[in-house]
Amino acid sequence: MVGREYMTRQDAIVLWISRVIIWVAIILSLLPTWFIIVASVSKGGAFFQSSFFPKEITFENYIELFRKKSSPSQTLPDFVMWVKNSLIVCFGVAFLQIFMTAPAAYAFSRINFVGRKNGLKTLLILQMFPTFMAMPAIYGLLAKFNLLDNLFALILVLAGGSAFNIWLLKGNMDQIPYEIDEAAIIDGAGHFLIFRKIILPLTAPMLAVMFIWSFNGVFNEFLLSSLVLQSPENATVPIGLRNFINNQFSANWPMFSAASILASLPIVIIYMALQKQIQSGLAAGAVKG
Amino acid sequence: MKKREPIGYVYLAPALISMAVLSFFPIAMTVYYAFTNFNLNHMEDYKFVGFKNFVDIITGPFKEVFAPTFAWTFTFALVTVLINFAVGLLLAVLLNNKFMKETNIYRSILIIPWAIPGTIASLAWQGLLNEEYGAINMLLKTFHINPLPWMTDPFWAKISIFIVNLWLSYPFMMNASLGALQSIPPELYEVAEIDGAGWFTKLFKITIPMIVPTALPILISSFAYAFNNFNVVYLVTGGGPARLDTQFAGHTDLLVSTTYKLTMQFYRYDLASAMSIIIFFIVGTISLINMKLTRAFEGGER
Repeated sequence: MVGREYMTRQDAIVLWISRVIIWVAIILSLLPTWFIIVASVSKGGAFFQSSFFPKEITFENYIELFRKKSSPSQTLPDFVMWVKNSLIVCFGVAFLQIFMTAPAAYAFSRINFVGRKNGLKTLLILQMFPTFMAMPAIYGLLAKFNLLDNLFALILVLAGGSAFNIWLLKGNMDQIPYEIDEAAIIDGAGHFLIFRKIILPLTAPMLAVMFIWSFNGVFNEFLLSSLVLQSPENATVPIGLRNFINNQFSANWPMFSAASILASLPIVIIYMALQKQIQSGLAAGAVKG
Repeated sequence: MKKREPIGYVYLAPALISMAVLSFFPIAMTVYYAFTNFNLNHMEDYKFVGFKNFVDIITGPFKEVFAPTFAWTFTFALVTVLINFAVGLLLAVLLNNKFMKETNIYRSILIIPWAIPGTIASLAWQGLLNEEYGAINMLLKTFHINPLPWMTDPFWAKISIFIVNLWLSYPFMMNASLGALQSIPPELYEVAEIDGAGWFTKLFKITIPMIVPTALPILISSFAYAFNNFNVVYLVTGGGPARLDTQFAGHTDLLVSTTYKLTMQFYRYDLASAMSIIIFFIVGTISLINMKLTRAFEGGER
């Protein structure tokens, strides 16, 4: 912003009031996280949050998460199993989605076929049907084919092609100059070679963001996952955690806290590191050039 | 352009096939179920019943479930979007101060709730708001405020949902507003300052009128998203507290979580399907308005 660079008395007052409001907002938004951290390092089974700072710090709750259950009746969480299941589903869906989105975006960006002009619009309109609309039918069909409680069935259910992603990626591919393709065509390259050797490497950053995005989305997915997955062995992190905390809140709270911190940390780190790219991805979707 | 190349369909095939099998086919089935009596009593021998399910929901015996749930879903979506936007915009305006040198530090801290996985955060909130053991009531006690019935009282359960949703979503609104603020020409403020306008005058006469048109598409799509917001309600209050007049929906249940319960707990596929179609028409109308506003489909051709 241009203009005066010195501060008037009024500017100084506004600045300090702003700071105080922002500090309050920061405290309020970090407070819940702080309570969870305190709970996760506090001692003992039954939990009663009485202090703002932990009296005694222990990492027992974190260590317990990785201990093997000796009997199924034990209330230890199957944290390692949940993480494994979540990773299988998240990686599966993210890879499948890239595998389906990238060629489709390439077709819309570079190949001339009947229906190209209106195809994407049609897909976007059809995409307006929300996923939960398919919920009763998906449940009914999976039950019929005995595919309930199956991680791979869940991957397939969640990995349906996304018109929105195709649209985003097509926009990204459109920005790659067509002259590069022409040069390659003169050298005798066909579509597959151009797609693999030119377009994919040049859109790699966008693909990476989409991968993380869908990974994060699937990690957070609850509705369809809880519909499909039923046995405790197949629970993903959110489903496992939910059952764990709903069983016996006061006794399970410290370990729940430890587990939720461990499960969130990688995503928080990735998000913070890629904040710029994720935001520009959002912007690319929202604003049309 | 050049000649037609049918090879394009090969590139489209994986996406198209998956969409056909996983989205369109189940949705078509849903539409079909909505006109049948496919439920626990008719698992194999279900038959076509016409518009009966829709009539039952809107004017018939399920009116008791639908009408209050619809009203709450609408209120929830509207209020939550307005609160989240107001807080996000306020923080964005405060952060957008040229004299505040440390503004980037604040921004990265304030974004943390956005980065924490929403389902895990919602579950944690369920614990924090626990009436007996939860940290929030403990905190209130240390300030000599009576503990609040976050889960058992319909009013406070709704307040909990608003609080959790605000905590989860204000960073997004803040970011969006910060982006939109950049599009306001600084000259406007300079002129206003020369005329002696104060902070509030500038906020209400320049910033808000300039930012609302830019933010409108985001607000509308957030409204549509909130309408379908299953996770927060289901994970924080579970739809509770229960209503006395019906078992199908609690006081905080949204249309989507009611559909989920109808499917999963009561095996009323017929009603759940009809309900999905009603929700789709509401959300679809909102999305259409939004597309008209943003003119999303203009351009986009190479």
